[in-house]
Amino acid sequence: MSYFLQLVVSGIVVGSIYALSALGFVLIYKSSRVINLAHGQIIASGCFITYALNVWVGIPIYLAFVLSLIITFFLAMGVERLFLRRLIGEPIISVIMVTIGLMSILDGIIYLTPFGAENFSFPEFLPTTPIMMGDVSISWTQLVGVIITALLIGGFSWFFKKTTIGIAKRAVADDQLAAMSIGVSVPKVFGLAWATAGLTAAAAGGIIGNITGLNFDTLHAVGITVFPVVILGGLDSILGAVVAGIIMGLIQQFAGGYLDGNWGLNSTAEVLPYIILLIILLIKPHGLFGTHEIERV
Amino acid sequence: MAVNRWLATGNYFTSYRDEQRIFATHLNRLFFFAFLCCLFVWPLLFEVSNKYMLVIDNILIAIVAIIGLNLLTGFAGLISIGHAAFVGVGAYCLASFARVIGDEHILITHAWPVMIILSGLLGAVFGAFVGLPALRLKHLYLAIATLSFQMIFEWTINSMTFFNQGQTISVGRVFWFTGQVMRADHYVFWYYVVLTVIIICWFMASNLLRTRYGRSLIAVRDNDRAADAMGMHPGLTKVYAFALGGFFAGVAGALHAYLYRGVGIESFTLHHSISYLAMAIVGGLGTLNGSFWGPLAIRTLDLQVDNLAEKAGHIFSANLSLATALRPLAFGLVIVLFLMFEPRGIANWWRIVKSYTKLWPFKY
Repeated sequence: MSYFLQLVVSGIVVGSIYALSALGFVLIYKSSRVINLAHGQIIASGCFITYALNVWVGIPIYLAFVLSLIITFFLAMGVERLFLRRLIGEPIISVIMVTIGLMSILDGIIYLTPFGAENFSFPEFLPTTPIMMGDVSISWTQLVGVIITALLIGGFSWFFKKTTIGIAKRAVADDQLAAMSIGVSVPKVFGLAWATAGLTAAAAGGIIGNITGLNFDTLHAVGITVFPVVILGGLDSILGAVVAGIIMGLIQQFAGGYLDGNWGLNSTAEVLPYIILLIILLIKPHGLFGTHEIERV
Repeated sequence: MAVNRWLATGNYFTSYRDEQRIFATHLNRLFFFAFLCCLFVWPLLFEVSNKYMLVIDNILIAIVAIIGLNLLTGFAGLISIGHAAFVGVGAYCLASFARVIGDEHILITHAWPVMIILSGLLGAVFGAFVGLPALRLKHLYLAIATLSFQMIFEWTINSMTFFNQGQTISVGRVFWFTGQVMRADHYVFWYYVVLTVIIICWFMASNLLRTRYGRSLIAVRDNDRAADAMGMHPGLTKVYAFALGGFFAGVAGALHAYLYRGVGIESFTLHHSISYLAMAIVGGLGTLNGSFWGPLAIRTLDLQVDNLAEKAGHIFSANLSLATALRPLAFGLVIVLFLMFEPRGIANWWRIVKSYTKLWPFKY
């Protein structure tokens, strides 16, 4: 039983990171209908910026974290302005390919820095002894990570419900023409969507970096695992991203805990999300919370 | 070509049959066959090192795969982020034969044309299977389905002991009428084989596009409801497009396995899927000759970047490998720049050059 509870706890930790990563993805898709394949790279760069600011420049970790959020905010905004703005109205494959190109460019830039080849880890700034709750243990970094994730997701939900910018974003997501006619600047909203997505990605990156260490491959892989999460939750639902992220985290942990090693299976956690993705696409393509707008052939 | 062509001021077609000819004029056909002769003759005249012959073979194999991807993505409008997995299916078809009957078995070494076609057919079966969600899904969702096929494929190969867990599975040397093809002739031999395969594939594809089965792909891409109203089944057409793409990919995979005399997962990863898509886009989606330009451009770019990195590496003598950094950077820049400034790809430049030479020295 304690094994089960331990898996649940670590599943929630992993899942909340997925939720935060998926949130950025959903933000972009919701307002501009762009699938951002470079999300993993943005997550990674957010993480690396935090590390560079903290260790190489010597800024305290919390300040470095906030600074990296701000930097990626503008970075993502610039990316939208430079590459995506020109492609509004182009066919979907062009848009997907541009994000793939972006992914390659960011890959190249990251490989030019020391982060491409070597692994780093954040200096310990929290107590290293794990917190025990009965038989279940959770480390301080994981706990803080989950708390920050919850705060950010809560903050974003509030932002979308209450602020003018958030309402403008939802209006654009709902109907671009109608939003334009009541004076919402659609390109600006697109830019802002990318910027906020960059911000959440950097936050996710910082948290993952603290939990697992700075490995480009791991961080990059999170960007791809986001796909099953968003499909499960529904491509345009923030609530869906959160719920599906946690479900996916739990599934991965259970798969790793119970399936691996039995029946000759190993590393099932890597493949199970994609099998689920295929099943979801076949039976419920709009996901758990997505809008039912899929055109059938 | 009933009227006197020398009196006409351009290519005017008087019947649909005329318009659908592969070669519009005799001159076209002449040029085409002259070019083919050049392709067949030049390796006899020039001595090429094995390294560059391998690069050329690689380009040719990529062309076979891209013809399939172009039919799938360019003509049928279905984005596939899992094309390398289809290529991998072809290669691993051969590899599983090698595992079961031994890599020097007569089937593999002597009946290799049969094996190549068999791999293609298996690729088609897998293509159709992956395309099944197309009966229900469109665009984006379908692209993500192919992505998940790519991930599942990689995992399957990596985790099954039958596939040597992604490590190289060797494939034996093949026999030609003159005996076993040895190391010295290996790359030239496969150059000729792949070239022949490309010509066959090209004729297959361009003939296909003149029939109702090819036109139905384009109809479904342009407007699937209208296609439905015209009596085509959009879902089945899409599945069939996936099977077509899978067939060409499977053939390319078998050729790849024979060329490298082994199969390993490292040639069929997500990264390769992306670079196949990039080749199709840089070449020009929805044009057959784009399938030739794309691989040529991307592979040449890779080669040049490697050379550059090697040169620059001497100057900097840094411990970071410049090639691993510069390759994705250049690759990404090329994709993005093409999409922003020339979305119709190199095939469009080819069209411009062709119409220019046709009119020269007049302006129009």
